[in-house]
Amino acid sequence: MQDFFDLVGRVLIHVVGWGSPVTTVLRYLFPLLAIAILVRCGISLLGFRKEPEVWGHIAFEDGSRLPVTHWENTIGRTRRNDIQMNFENIYKQHAVLTRYDDGSWTIGDVGGRGGIAVNGDTITGLTEIGYGDLIDLNGLEVTLVPITDEEAEYVESCRTDPKYIVSPAMTLILMTIFQAFTAIQLLIGCDSAYWKSICFCFPVVTGFMWLLFFFNKAMRRSGFEVETIAFFLCTMGLAVIASVEPDELLKTVISMVIGVILFMVIGFCMRELDTAKKLRYIAAAAGPVMLLAVLAFGTTVYGAKCWIYIGNYSIQPSELAKISFVFAGASTLDRLMTKRNLFLFIVYSGICCILLALCNDFGSAAVFFMAFLVIAYLRSGDFATLSLICAGTGFAGFMAVKLRPHVTARFATWRHVWEDPSDSGFQQTQALMCIAAGGLFGLGAGNGQLKYIFAADSDIVFATVCEEWGLIIGVVCVLCIVCIALFAVRSASLCRSSFYAISACADMTILIFQMTLNVFGTIDFLPFTGVTFPFLSNGGSSMMGTWGLLAFVKAADTRQNASFATTVPTHAKKRYAA
Amino acid sequence: MKRISSRTVFMTILSMIVVLGIAAFVVQYFIKANDWVTFPGSPHVYSGGNISTGSVRDRDGVMVLTNGERRQYADNELIRKATMHLLGDRYGYIEAPLINTYADKLLDYNPITGVYTTSETGNILNLTLSADACVTALQGLNGRKGTVGVYNYRTGEILCMVSSGTYDPDDMPDMDTIESDSYYEGVFLNRFTRSTYVPGSIFKLVTAAAAIDNIPDVFDRSFYCEQETIIGGEYITCEQYHGSISFGTGLVKSCNIVFGELAVELGPEILTRYAEAAGINSAVSFDGTTVAEGNFDLSNAGDNDVAWAGIGQYTNLINPCQFMTFVGSIAAGGQAAAPYVVDSVESADGMKVYEAQRQMMDRTMSESTASALTEMMRNDVVQNYGTYDFPDVYVCAKSGTAEVGEGEPNAMFAGFVQDESYPLAFIVIVENAGSGSAVCTSIAGDVLYACMESMDG
Repeated sequence: MQDFFDLVGRVLIHVVGWGSPVTTVLRYLFPLLAIAILVRCGISLLGFRKEPEVWGHIAFEDGSRLPVTHWENTIGRTRRNDIQMNFENIYKQHAVLTRYDDGSWTIGDVGGRGGIAVNGDTITGLTEIGYGDLIDLNGLEVTLVPITDEEAEYVESCRTDPKYIVSPAMTLILMTIFQAFTAIQLLIGCDSAYWKSICFCFPVVTGFMWLLFFFNKAMRRSGFEVETIAFFLCTMGLAVIASVEPDELLKTVISMVIGVILFMVIGFCMRELDTAKKLRYIAAAAGPVMLLAVLAFGTTVYGAKCWIYIGNYSIQPSELAKISFVFAGASTLDRLMTKRNLFLFIVYSGICCILLALCNDFGSAAVFFMAFLVIAYLRSGDFATLSLICAGTGFAGFMAVKLRPHVTARFATWRHVWEDPSDSGFQQTQALMCIAAGGLFGLGAGNGQLKYIFAADSDIVFATVCEEWGLIIGVVCVLCIVCIALFAVRSASLCRSSFYAISACADMTILIFQMTLNVFGTIDFLPFTGVTFPFLSNGGSSMMGTWGLLAFVKAADTRQNASFATTVPTHAKKRYAA
Repeated sequence: MKRISSRTVFMTILSMIVVLGIAAFVVQYFIKANDWVTFPGSPHVYSGGNISTGSVRDRDGVMVLTNGERRQYADNELIRKATMHLLGDRYGYIEAPLINTYADKLLDYNPITGVYTTSETGNILNLTLSADACVTALQGLNGRKGTVGVYNYRTGEILCMVSSGTYDPDDMPDMDTIESDSYYEGVFLNRFTRSTYVPGSIFKLVTAAAAIDNIPDVFDRSFYCEQETIIGGEYITCEQYHGSISFGTGLVKSCNIVFGELAVELGPEILTRYAEAAGINSAVSFDGTTVAEGNFDLSNAGDNDVAWAGIGQYTNLINPCQFMTFVGSIAAGGQAAAPYVVDSVESADGMKVYEAQRQMMDRTMSESTASALTEMMRNDVVQNYGTYDFPDVYVCAKSGTAEVGEGEPNAMFAGFVQDESYPLAFIVIVENAGSGSAVCTSIAGDVLYACMESMDG
């Protein structure tokens, strides 16, 4: 019997530990809440039903029909086309058929090769067509037929059935509980001098989150998962800042509010493809201009010139330039098919990367280059050219590594951090020691030791999260970004335009790549680059830029009535009756 | 759209790589978190270069070290000095691998709950060492440089390991001038584990083992010692004129002529084989320490060199700890237990976190050879040193006087107690102390009695 009580006592000691009783309970509660939030968001983001939509039909002379399942379609002989016509006189890629939001359609040839006549007139470039127009594809005569009311209703009914019903409001309530407990834990873990700003900042974030939620509701939009995940990561980021740099709490909250506004503005601009296409030239031009400004007026901090100081305020334009880059890279399918030209984009990307390299900002340069590769691949599908570009850049990168001593030093340390734990491997070894100290459940926000190490809230923020919040929440943070990225992949095939698909995938590539460099740099899987963990790392510009990038994902979200950044399509029958 | 959306598969791949990477990290975490958190400099576990948790006590329960914000050593100055080379000082001038090796066990860490649930005091490490015996040894050395080691050749427990010169960690000498102070020469070295000595006559035990096995009539042979002889064109000299002398008496009198001639007759190959078997050239490891390797190399030796090597001079070097296990193996019938110094680690409420396991060393000689040597070594004690220093203990031993070039020779004394209640092997080395037996036997006697007292509880 005595043994039994001894055993119970020992087990209890291992569960309870030395911290305050509140922390002791909360440290087990936080991972549960975090997992619940992620799983709920994950189910609705990754589990939604992907029903094929039908927007019209291609009718052949013999009366047979092919459904048109996208707004942007390629027509051709091979299976890789959206509409496959396996006839000898049809090119592998023959035409591109596009539907617009107002229900109008165009058809265009691929690469200026011709082979299309509408109502007897041979056409080049994009030509508007109506239902019933006779389209001649190298002798094959087809017509475009609208869908019937029944079909429209069927499509509609499929799309309103989300398969899994996960109430976003409930998730948000969990999130609110998480935030409230976070604030309580921080009051225990932090210096009383900062109680005031903690008590102010966290309620503001929670309030703002609900405000945005009700705004969505008012717009009759129900999808709030991406925002919820973003707010979760922001909360984690704030908690880290409250522990490491509590003076910067308010600044971060303000950046977040500006970021959310940017997110909304970009999201609304993306609703109409025409607006988005017009905007992209201005947005794209802004990128190199900002980078040039850094080169001209920037301040060098820790070897990299990436800051511009305006009075007491500092911004990191490269974080915002990422939005420009995504805009520049996105393109509609008809343009891709008719022009098929990567040249301008390569030049654009080259300029951006060179400007960043000149600023010594190799971390951002790597992120931009990665985004370039992704966009170039999405647009062209051309592995050969991209391999050449990679080889060339790899060589340039090699030279850069050789020539820049601080980059060389970081590569030399890579996978050898334990050999020099007091100097070149200091940050990473301290990070690993503290990750281990935190265990799976963490020591409680504010109770860490890593906060005394340089860049605890940015370059090695993953370790700070693991130390104070535990490895489970650290992993959840990584999976949050992965979850949104996979959502972008799932959404891509349903996007109204390749413009949205490309931009969403490009922007998630940027975020996931940044996160990978940050996390794997911290744990010495990759060289230490010091790029930011989206939302988590302390940095106003990064916060704004990341929220801005997230708008592209919202624009790619075509679930029925889900995203504020997409319009509900008007069906053809209403205006273009045959 | 099909073209574009099918290309997004790369992002799925990228995501999977990230997930796999994180999974790999989680696996690595469970394997290595223990090492990470106890790595020197780990902010939750170390304070000012020292681990801040756990305590160390000797076999009798005497606290010799309590870790905390600042290390607290034993109250007794002599204990502090005698255990210095095992525990290290606060500033790392004397490095002590023991504490760092057991840091994770002292910490009571587990990777699930992290350091959150570790107790402030940490766990207790129980040494096999007797602080009392160590103090006795240090007092016996009496400020002279040297080392004393005693261990249980049946279990492997080290009861005494002392390295002198030493200093008091609570009253550190001036580190700026310590280099030029001859009193502190070699003070940072743990002489027991990390130094090597010219063995002198104690090495004759190795030569004798080889002779017993390989020269069938060696006990019937008669040698003639004229205090010097010529082997390989050069002199071999002996301390005394022994005249006609047998093999057995040769070991008792430590006659160089006998062992020089035997060595040459055995030849370098057999000698090397026995030296290797005795472990002279290998390094035994325990509790984070790997002892220094000795040296026995006859690859370019002429006959005269081989003769001197058989006597324990030439380029021979032994490590005290290693040689102690060799004499232990003679006592144990050819195969001794491997030494260790940490008996167990337990939590404050007595739960064992770690317990030492007995491990055997390689066999050094056959059982019959060991028993023949034991008899010869017993005769050595009875006829040579007398049993004055250990009246009621059956001690078998061999002394040595190792010429070290300049100054007085080093006095060496190695042997064991042939008694299953007290299976102790020992080595005593006093640097520049002249002839072996005189200085060493009284130290050995006092320390053995202290050890036996501790064993009796």
